Amino acid sequence: MERQEILDTMNLVMTNKGREPITDETVATRDANFRSLDFSEVALRIETKLGRELTFDAAAMRNIDTVKDVLDFFEKATA
Amino acid sequence: MPDVAHNNTITFPDGQSSWTALLKNADARIGAPDRFDGQRVVFVVDSMQQAFGAIIYGLTHGLDYGVVERHRVSPEVAGRFAENGVALFDWAAVTVMGDAQHAGDTLEPGRVTVLTSGTTGLLKLIPHSWDTLNTFDRVAELPANTWFLPYQIGSYAWFQMVALGLFKPGQNLVCGDFNDLAASFETALRSGQITAISSTPTFWRHALMNIGFDLIQSAPLTSISMGGEIVDQAILDELGGIFPQAKIRHIYASSEAGAAIVVTDGKAGFDAKLTDPARAIGVKVEEDRLYIRSPYSNKADASGWVDTGDLVERRGDRFLFCGRAGNTMINVGGQKAFPPDIEAYLNAHPNVVWSQVTARRAPLMGNLPVAKVVLTKGADTTTAERDLTEYCSKGLAEYAVPRMWEFLDSVPMRASLKS
Repeated sequence: MERQEILDTMNLVMTNKGREPITDETVATRDANFRSLDFSEVALRIETKLGRELTFDAAAMRNIDTVKDVLDFFEKATA
Repeated sequence: MPDVAHNNTITFPDGQSSWTALLKNADARIGAPDRFDGQRVVFVVDSMQQAFGAIIYGLTHGLDYGVVERHRVSPEVAGRFAENGVALFDWAAVTVMGDAQHAGDTLEPGRVTVLTSGTTGLLKLIPHSWDTLNTFDRVAELPANTWFLPYQIGSYAWFQMVALGLFKPGQNLVCGDFNDLAASFETALRSGQITAISSTPTFWRHALMNIGFDLIQSAPLTSISMGGEIVDQAILDELGGIFPQAKIRHIYASSEAGAAIVVTDGKAGFDAKLTDPARAIGVKVEEDRLYIRSPYSNKADASGWVDTGDLVERRGDRFLFCGRAGNTMINVGGQKAFPPDIEAYLNAHPNVVWSQVTARRAPLMGNLPVAKVVLTKGADTTTAERDLTEYCSKGLAEYAVPRMWEFLDSVPMRASLKS
């Protein structure tokens, strides 16, 4: 999935919760107020869009710190 | 058993009848009851009129019997009847279907077989009698009413309403047409005769979406009963607002526990005082699980209690229903979210007609709650997802807020009137 499409999905989740959309990839997910539940929702939305379950690398998931990490993670998972 | 109220009327899509006329026609069609000697029989019918004929025929002649609609008799279902020593009898063709079955030692004249698919989808034969089905026998004074009957032939709720029309003088029935229930309800309302209805919250949500509000509001309803699924505060408030003159009650009953809890105070759940051990119909809660001891029950342990399998939660001076044990809770990353709670909250939103919350497997959290929703006509669907997410965020724990939304055009309703 394209990086922009992943970011759009993240921002759909953010704005649905009344939060500001993310514009800076370098910001920490904690500072962007992007939480574990939101990560899980983005994954579910991507799975629904693709029509298949994604395979996740648990170790990579634990190392996520920034928005860039999230985008990298889903880019790899959907490749 | 009380006498049959022969003067009560039953209205079918093609005309009105009485128990006397139905029995006369049934006797003429089927003939002497000795053809059923030694047989546990279930009559296979094509219409509500045939079903009522079978009911009065079996009651009058003391048969061990039941009734089922033809479209439900698949080869698998027919096999299930055969396993239980039940002969299927084609009411229209006046003949036994398939191989005759011999009930042998299991024959119990006066037994009435109620059919339920329960939560498993597998047809179950629940043994009752007219004594256990006649749950209105404790109501001494019942005002004369004309009831709309929306239930599926052969279900427990249908039998309860049939028993009401059979045994309580002044209780007339108007049968719904399952081919288009909303249309037949609308026709019944237009007649101006309907004063009472027993149904489910889903039935009402379906009706409120499909029938003009002015017609519904003009109905001279004095008695509204709901059951079969969780009755939330939103539907109680809505119906209370539309029908201020009506007595609105919700009833907890199941085909196995019988009718047990009747709530008339306009609030969801039931008063904790009902667990008083001195009550005739026993209600107890152990580890959030509801147990019933009722004279209308057909299945109880040695002490008389039936484990309903339903969960309740104490909140203040009330117990609220939380769904079925084992299949209701959503584990969201270790936190427990309960769909009935979420649905009750959603249903209280002014733009929501109906909602259903389920679990979806999701990475990281294990599961997330997702919602199907029917919006009121004219509600803005383009902003609904954001609006409802914001609304839920204000009143529910973060883990209980539905994460994905599907908006349906109409309230889905099964033959049981549940969704």
